[in-house]
Amino acid sequence: MKRTDFYWLRLVGTGLWFLVFGLVTFVLGFMVLPLIRLVTPNRQRRMLRSRAVLGAGMRSFIHGVSDLRFIEYEFIGREKLGRPGQLIVANHPTLIDVCFLLGFVPTASCIVKAGHFRNLITRGAVIGAAYIPNAPTEEMIHAAEAALQAGETLLMFPEGTRTVPGRPLTMQRGAANVALRAARVLTPVYISCEPSTLSKNLPWYRIPPSRPKWTLRVGDDIDLAAYRGVPLPIASRRLHSDLAGLFGGATQVRD
Amino acid sequence: MKSREEIFQTVRTALIELFELEAPIVVPEARFDDDLEIDSIDAVDLIDHLSRIFDRRVSPRDFRSVRTVQDLIDTIERLQPQ
Repeated sequence: MKRTDFYWLRLVGTGLWFLVFGLVTFVLGFMVLPLIRLVTPNRQRRMLRSRAVLGAGMRSFIHGVSDLRFIEYEFIGREKLGRPGQLIVANHPTLIDVCFLLGFVPTASCIVKAGHFRNLITRGAVIGAAYIPNAPTEEMIHAAEAALQAGETLLMFPEGTRTVPGRPLTMQRGAANVALRAARVLTPVYISCEPSTLSKNLPWYRIPPSRPKWTLRVGDDIDLAAYRGVPLPIASRRLHSDLAGLFGGATQVRD
Repeated sequence: MKSREEIFQTVRTALIELFELEAPIVVPEARFDDDLEIDSIDAVDLIDHLSRIFDRRVSPRDFRSVRTVQDLIDTIERLQPQ
């Protein structure tokens, strides 16, 4: 395919932005968030301040790459996100999905890869913001339950990792389980990126021939009452299979 | 203090109710992963459920080495007040 939309400029720009992103995460995690910890003894306020700082960072990143026309995006129904006790579930086609969601819903907590709690660059950030590691399973589920019960908004990517283009979307049952345990409201967000970029099987420099566009569409709340009245494992299997159908139908995964 | 047999009956009832298992396959030798197809998320639900019934606060760490129904019964027996 013909390379358009200032391909070489976008390539160099994308590389630079990755460098900036890594540096900023490091500076936030090692300097800004420890400083916040120092001046904010109250745990609740410390968590919210840390999330506000990280959210602002991710929002600036998205604004930066879209103002420079490396990407385009459309976020439909954003105002429906961020309610107390809301569990947000989203599919995960690209590396920067989390930047859109936590950037624009900065009060939210998020289930993140346990490895980020060991990685030197991301460690400070995820601990400061009191995000929840995805392993071990029982700790993840109980921590997610507690966060929702405390009225936090929680973000989960039920696939656990990015979708490999061309392969069917496979989700873990944890999201359905947590939803039925503690969510006041369950809201799906459908993410797509056209043409596909920053996906699981591609290095960052394989940028698409034309400028990629992200579309994030907030779906209708899912009625949890419909799943009550049977034991949790049975209910969570039903909700899980409905969620898989919903995401499978709403997002076409392509090569 | 419940007897081993009582604990077994309680665990068995829980497994049948929660996971819609057929009664004959829930035997002490049954392995959770292979025979009963109980995964790590199910295990959290099961332990939460049993800890409510036995009115014990348990740590997931107590169940790390549980592989079979018999292991679970032994663990619950051990956690009971003497």
